[in-house]
Amino acid sequence: MNAIPVLTIQDVATLDGVLGDFLKKTEAELTVVIDRGGNVISQCGDMDAMDVTVIAALAAGSFAATRELARRIGEVEFNALYHQGNGSHMFMNSVDDETIMITVFGSRTTVGLVRFYSAATAQNVATVLKGLRSSAHGFSFEAKDVSAAPVFVDHPS
Amino acid sequence: MSIINYASREIQFKIVYYGPALCGKTTNLNYIHERINPLNRGDLVSLATATERTLFFDFLPLNAVVIKGFVTKFQLYTVPGQVIYNATRQLVLRSVDGIVFVADSQWEKMEENVESWKNLCDNLSLQNMSIDDTPCVLEYNKRDLPNIAPVNYMEYVLNNGKKRLQSFEVISSTGQNVFATLNAVSQILLHKFSKQSEAPQGAPLPVAIPVEPPQTQKLPA
Repeated sequence: MNAIPVLTIQDVATLDGVLGDFLKKTEAELTVVIDRGGNVISQCGDMDAMDVTVIAALAAGSFAATRELARRIGEVEFNALYHQGNGSHMFMNSVDDETIMITVFGSRTTVGLVRFYSAATAQNVATVLKGLRSSAHGFSFEAKDVSAAPVFVDHPS
Repeated sequence: MSIINYASREIQFKIVYYGPALCGKTTNLNYIHERINPLNRGDLVSLATATERTLFFDFLPLNAVVIKGFVTKFQLYTVPGQVIYNATRQLVLRSVDGIVFVADSQWEKMEENVESWKNLCDNLSLQNMSIDDTPCVLEYNKRDLPNIAPVNYMEYVLNNGKKRLQSFEVISSTGQNVFATLNAVSQILLHKFSKQSEAPQGAPLPVAIPVEPPQTQKLPA
């Protein structure tokens, strides 16, 4: 049997607190913590305008792709990436070996402020996740709880 | 490895479509995107070249309610099949939960199929994973073409590991068995995490699950 690491309600509340505080200080619009495989771990902010799942997948890819660039100049990886747009921008920074933090922000704030606060926030997030990974308990469900019906149905339009 | 979020009651799984160049991985995702209930899917994102060859990956998020009390999110990815993009394939494989290996059934593609399969095993081992421990199904695609290898031969060439994998004859361009393949890998994946996973749900099938006979169209006289 395999178990899935569990993000408990308490863990989620702690992460929400850390990320909420970060958004308040920076006036950024959205921040998302993802693993390097592109899975969303936690998110905070205005999520209506954006598909966070897609952003997470693309950001993980973007972050990983630049790793090779970093190696060419003798770095293990770039700790942070900044994508500048006309009105909206994205800042990504490494949390730990498994995790990345993405921040989307507009003209109300600056990249300097986001960069400044993201360092401390990443440390706090890393502490929570370290506890999560070191905890022995994982989640596995009962076989009877899994639907026997096909998961996906071919649905002619 | 995914994380389960108890607050939002969500579980995320990552399924990667792997295989040689031009075997039909993106076609699988296109068909699924086209045919699945729009309420259960997000946007299909393709990072492709101007000639529609996959450059980085294709990505399709799907939602389902298959575990009591949880929303299950499946994230489908394809890898670029071209040999030169191995570093990208390694990136896409990161944290993978399930794999659909898409093989091209044409005789002249057998060597590429085998190379790609070996490449998959090598790339999994780089992240300390093994194909024997990873939920995986085989898809023998393009069964409608004239110059295809018999299923028994493909089984002999590709499905010869310690663990016999479920395999499917597929025509991804028309969608035949595309959903069957996806459902099979999803179920294997879900049962891996269930408490009774030591008792496998159904033994691997000895032969590939066939496609329905294709409906031949009469050419106009």
